[in-house]
Amino acid sequence: MSEPVLRRTRFDVGMEPVAASTASRLLPLSKVCALLALLAGLSLPALVQAEAVAPAKPGYAVPSERAVHSLLVDVVRAGKRLVAVGDRGHILFSDDQGQNWQQAEVPTRQMLTGVFFVDDQHGWAVGHDAQILASRDGGQTWQRQYRDLEREAPLLDVWFRNRQQGFAVGAYGAVLTTNNGGQTWEEISERLDNPDAYHLNGVTYVEGGGLFVVGELGLMYRSADWGLSWETVASPYEGSLFGVGATGQPGSLVVYGLRGHLFRSSDFGNSWQAIRLEAENGPLEFGLAGSALLEDGQLVVVGHGGSVLLSRDAGQSFTVINRADRLPLAGVASAGNGGLILVGQGGVHLATANGSELDQQ
Amino acid sequence: MSINKQQHTPAPFLERLIFNNRPAVILICTLISLFLFYQAAQVRPSTSFEKMIPLQHPYIKNMMDHRNDLSNLGNTVRIAVEAVDGDIFTKEYMETLRQINDEVFYIAGVDRSGMKSLWSPNVRWTEVTEEGFDGGEVIPQTYDGSAESLEELRNNVLKSGQVGRLVGNNFKSSIIDVPLLESYPDPQDQSRLIKLDYQQFSHELEEKIREKYQAQNPNVKVHIIGFAKKVGDLIDGLIGVVMFFGVAIAITFVLLLWFTHCFKSTLAVVCTTLIAVVWQLGMLNVLGFGLDPYSMLVPFLVFAIGISHGVQKINGIAMASGDAPDALTAARRAFRQLFIPGMVALLSDAVGFITLLLIDIGVIRELAIAASVGVAVIILTNLILLPVTISYIGISQKAVRISREEASKNHPFWRLISNFAHPLVAPISVVVALAALGGGIWYGQNLKIGDLDQGAPELHPDSRYNLDNDFVIRNYSTSSDVLVIMAKTAPEGCSSYKTLSAMDQLMWQMENTEGVQSAVSMVSVSKQVIKGMNEGNLKWETLSRNQDVLNNSIARAEGLYNGNCSLAPVLVFLNDHKAETLERTVAVAKQFAEEHNEDGLEFLLAAGNAGIEAATNEVIASSETTMLIAVYAAVVIMCLLTFRSLAATLCVILPLVLTSVLGNALMAYMGIGVKVATLPVIALGVGIGVDYGIYIYSRMETYLRQGMALQDAYYETLKSTGKAVLFTGVCLAIGVATWIFSAIKFQGDMGLMLTFMFLWNMFGAIWLLPALARFLIKPEKLRQA
Repeated sequence: MSEPVLRRTRFDVGMEPVAASTASRLLPLSKVCALLALLAGLSLPALVQAEAVAPAKPGYAVPSERAVHSLLVDVVRAGKRLVAVGDRGHILFSDDQGQNWQQAEVPTRQMLTGVFFVDDQHGWAVGHDAQILASRDGGQTWQRQYRDLEREAPLLDVWFRNRQQGFAVGAYGAVLTTNNGGQTWEEISERLDNPDAYHLNGVTYVEGGGLFVVGELGLMYRSADWGLSWETVASPYEGSLFGVGATGQPGSLVVYGLRGHLFRSSDFGNSWQAIRLEAENGPLEFGLAGSALLEDGQLVVVGHGGSVLLSRDAGQSFTVINRADRLPLAGVASAGNGGLILVGQGGVHLATANGSELDQQ
Repeated sequence: MSINKQQHTPAPFLERLIFNNRPAVILICTLISLFLFYQAAQVRPSTSFEKMIPLQHPYIKNMMDHRNDLSNLGNTVRIAVEAVDGDIFTKEYMETLRQINDEVFYIAGVDRSGMKSLWSPNVRWTEVTEEGFDGGEVIPQTYDGSAESLEELRNNVLKSGQVGRLVGNNFKSSIIDVPLLESYPDPQDQSRLIKLDYQQFSHELEEKIREKYQAQNPNVKVHIIGFAKKVGDLIDGLIGVVMFFGVAIAITFVLLLWFTHCFKSTLAVVCTTLIAVVWQLGMLNVLGFGLDPYSMLVPFLVFAIGISHGVQKINGIAMASGDAPDALTAARRAFRQLFIPGMVALLSDAVGFITLLLIDIGVIRELAIAASVGVAVIILTNLILLPVTISYIGISQKAVRISREEASKNHPFWRLISNFAHPLVAPISVVVALAALGGGIWYGQNLKIGDLDQGAPELHPDSRYNLDNDFVIRNYSTSSDVLVIMAKTAPEGCSSYKTLSAMDQLMWQMENTEGVQSAVSMVSVSKQVIKGMNEGNLKWETLSRNQDVLNNSIARAEGLYNGNCSLAPVLVFLNDHKAETLERTVAVAKQFAEEHNEDGLEFLLAAGNAGIEAATNEVIASSETTMLIAVYAAVVIMCLLTFRSLAATLCVILPLVLTSVLGNALMAYMGIGVKVATLPVIALGVGIGVDYGIYIYSRMETYLRQGMALQDAYYETLKSTGKAVLFTGVCLAIGVATWIFSAIKFQGDMGLMLTFMFLWNMFGAIWLLPALARFLIKPEKLRQA
């Protein structure tokens, strides 16, 4: 079983087992009971239906069974829980390794592009309309902290140091930061040397180094003082970099982007090494979009051709598979049971540890 | 004035007028026949699309208002070429595909610039590189059929995003997309436009593509779908129906000969009836109608009704011949006796047909008019021309002798049947009938509105077209049931963020509705292009608030908005076109429109085949009850006028009610929905079915008045007219039963239902009428009167 399902609401989930067990208990009983069961059966579909057509709150994401199969672009773990964000303000969470997903209450219908949790309760999501949303209950409900329609541009990634201090980056060189858990956000774009306002696609923290930001045209910036000052890093590449990930070793990170380009540095960006990525039929040519560092130290990168890259040596070498359906992927997280949760076009895909389809194994 | 009184009082004026001027009657009829024969020769098949839909329904009005803006959605034929063994990446397959592509290119009516297949240069793969977009033709310039170039082709196909569109999901087939021009320049004279002939186009596809290449390369199978192909197949089916007419005539002729034992009068009946058909067809042309798939039923009905009345005439003349000095006197006596009951029966037919005018669908109205005209014509030909003709040629002595013997001899079969009037049998019959009624009503609740089968509902589910359609639906990400909702704005307003984002919300709402597969609009294209402009980054696959970005992004969405950007369709692909699916999706769209319509942005329902079907279903659902009430009211009034008795009316009408109910149950059982084709059947069945009852009851009443007991009166009735009634039922049934074999599904449905209605109405009259009479009619009362 590799198809994740979306539970409509928790109330609904509670109802179904009750109805089922009632019906099964009644089977051997007398006709009177059967009649009662019939009545119960009649009233149940009506109830479920009423729920299904219940409209979303104005401006809130529409509850949808299809959300789990529609475009999602990032997924992270909040403690044992999985939280994924994507198109139409969809935020989904799962407490059973991605088998069943519930849709959170989210005050936007715009695409969300990135999500980050500092612990199992506190998380932030960013997205289009330069929105920043925050959750204090492990992703079940969300409040808007920031929005700027004038920008006509999205924020693209978010990273938090703790419950107070965090950073968001986005289109046209946007960098925002907060020191009070997001109650106020300050724009600090001008601290980066980006006069033409190129897009900034990713932000992360590298142990033993500091903050690292990547963007269009191979742009790279780093900050060792929690964002007060930023230094432009000499880039080994002129194409777009879509993301950046720490490898778990001090000062070591990978950046990745267009056409299967992936570079590794072990000295916080002072020097770079291009990593060769070989797919079944020659060099990998698909864009790479997202990554995750798993609990067991493995580094996983996913990309546009359904590519799943796996490294057991902190990013020095990768095995590559391109999934059969070639559906573009944008985010990855550990499922918590040895498998992977991949998100992208087509929503959530449950995969084995090496990224291939579950039912192909 | 009841019939039986009429039979004993002469009807001098009309009879004298006709029989004293026999040469004039013949002459006038000949002249009319010549004129109408000429007219009938001009009748052309018409498959006007507009007549088959309820033009006054608001959805259809919206669609017609914006017809030109939607034209780009297209009249396209899709040719799927399947590789039977292996996949499409072989040298032989690609070569055959290329040849088919080239051959289609030169078929007249093809919009060559819009053609799309793996071999057309406008089908490209694109890829984002450091320098921007990179791309090329899917079939590389260097293609030579070698393993390497086939591998390159396979990669290009994957990169092109055409899997599910031009290439089957399983890589075992690919599609040639062929847009058509409704009219195209004449190759001889470029300034003249030729209108696309669907039938010819469809035949060319068969001969030049399917037959030729399937024979040339046994490893390919060709599947062709699209509106033009469907219409072509429909017209072929129509022509096939003409053959059934010949079959019906032949069968009827043999039966008639067996019934009358007289070649002369058989010929006379068939000829006068054929004259009625010619007149009806001629009148059709005079009135400016063509012959559409529905009104094609009318000549069959006219023929069947004409024959059945002719039979009664011949029966009457044969019986009258026994004691008449010559053929003329016999004809006059039969005329006197049968003209009024014949008129009543035909008028009730016509009244039944007229009620069809209540339904606001062109083809049904034309059917009503054509059928009424046809019945009026029968009054002239079979009630007047036929007896006049017989008065000249007479009836063979053998036929007269047999008829006389029949009258005196004992009939064990009719004796047995007359037991239906027996005081012990009658209650059983009534109970059985009530049980059947209850069962019928219960089962008939499963009856659905609309077309229920997959694919093109006009054709049989296992027709070649529908098998092809099924193949394409299974192997490509597509559906043949499309509901179109139109977003209407001020000129140049379709690309504003407000409009696009509302359309986006509508699409999501629809996609979250049960029965919807997916929704497509210019929004879908816009999102893809915006993602493309951002190097394929999924985080950008959404609408932008930046108007310049939006304007750029819709440049490639041709056909998904109109010329001045004031109308954009949202295409909603459905799982099927069952009535529930249509109702549900239309209701969601309607509610969305109500909530979101504002100044400068309006969502209009509906176009697409599913939109049309939803409108048609609404019209049919709302007229079904009205029509039933009207048709029953009409026949009840007719019976009350004829018999002046409520009891008699009940005896005649109640068997019809049972037939209608069982007819509904049969439709539910056969999976036939209430639709444009089957709705008229109810009116036709009741209108024609009442004849049997009128005929049997009026005879039986005569005998009851003479003082006979009910069962004896019924036996005498059966003896004199039972055979004619049986024969009439069989005649009518034969006329329409041939339709069951029509290539057109709805004609088959109509044929099946009418056959059932005609036979069961006859059976109901013979079985139930006497049983009801046992309870409702007091013979003593009649005798006193």
